[in-house]
Amino acid sequence: MTDDELDQRVRASILSEELDTAPLERSIRARMSKRWMPRWAVAMAAGLALIVAGGFAYRQLFGSRTPPVCVAAARDHSTEVANGLPREWLSDVPAIQSLAVKHGIPAEAITALHATGYRLERGRLCFLKNEIFLHLVYTKGDEVFSVYLRRRDPEKGFGPSIRETSFDTEELAYFQTNRLTAVFVDEQSKEEALAFARAGLNSFTVAAL
Amino acid sequence: MLTEQEQFERIAMPHLAALLRVARRLASEPASAEDLVQETMLLAWRGFQGFEPGTNVRAWLFRILFNAFYGEGRRAQRAQEWMSQRPASHSPASTVVDAKVQEAVEIAEALQALATEQRSVLLLCVVEGFTCQEAAGILNVPIGTVMSRLSRARQELRTRLAPLAKEAYR
Repeated sequence: MTDDELDQRVRASILSEELDTAPLERSIRARMSKRWMPRWAVAMAAGLALIVAGGFAYRQLFGSRTPPVCVAAARDHSTEVANGLPREWLSDVPAIQSLAVKHGIPAEAITALHATGYRLERGRLCFLKNEIFLHLVYTKGDEVFSVYLRRRDPEKGFGPSIRETSFDTEELAYFQTNRLTAVFVDEQSKEEALAFARAGLNSFTVAAL
Repeated sequence: MLTEQEQFERIAMPHLAALLRVARRLASEPASAEDLVQETMLLAWRGFQGFEPGTNVRAWLFRILFNAFYGEGRRAQRAQEWMSQRPASHSPASTVVDAKVQEAVEIAEALQALATEQRSVLLLCVVEGFTCQEAAGILNVPIGTVMSRLSRARQELRTRLAPLAKEAYR
């Protein structure tokens, strides 16, 4: 049997199988739109919506619209990267990955960001709002970016949609995946911060992170 | 103007059957395969903002599927499921009335007997029509690895299907 004959037999055998994807498709659509909810869940959702609306109104009236962790990230980027304070950084990728793993961040996250085409220059741990984040510095052309990673924290309240904000001269884009919280910071350019965040989200998605 | 969900459904849903076909040969049972495809589609939907329009959506979905399959924590569980799975017995006494059905059973068993890595490459390149380069991107391995796994998979299949081939050419 030649390769072609073998391939043809395997392909014909598998492709002749009839698959009914309709129930699966319905289930995926339902989970995507989350249209179906039991009554108790509707009541809970309504209660939650009230709390969220109250919180939102409070923040609109009395608080900053930029999440505290993003304010902290913008300040950290400004101090540590833009002003280049002398600090100890790791530049060896396996060492950075090992540091990440120690703090609950999958090593694949670093590999995934590498696939975006941005160049990893250095990394270290830092504290943002009393929480440990992995601070990574990336470059692309003349642009210098900071990426702050931490394992997903449901209390952060931001989800898989990329959001943008700014603080002082820093532009930020941030999101959470199933496993990670990520904040991308760039000086001056909102588009560049967003582009890196989009590439990062895509890489995390394909890496199932 | 399409909503984001409509856009996603329009580009991703047509690939559901292909994803399920491959997932059924990776996972140990149909329910696990459906879970894997659901997980893949929901991950893709959540990360849709990061998807670059105009790039290969099929390859993107398969990358997510394989990464979800090989994902941390599940690897051991799925491997265990795989080890505990008994291939469907196929004794000469079984009443297979149709030669095509018999061939399908033989091919399915031969495929399941391959190492997962070899089976993955074979499914991507031979069944789903991806190039070795594309399969390398999906599985995140060098192209040389894909080529050698494909060669070994074919060799293994050929050995297992040899009696069948003799029947076919008799």
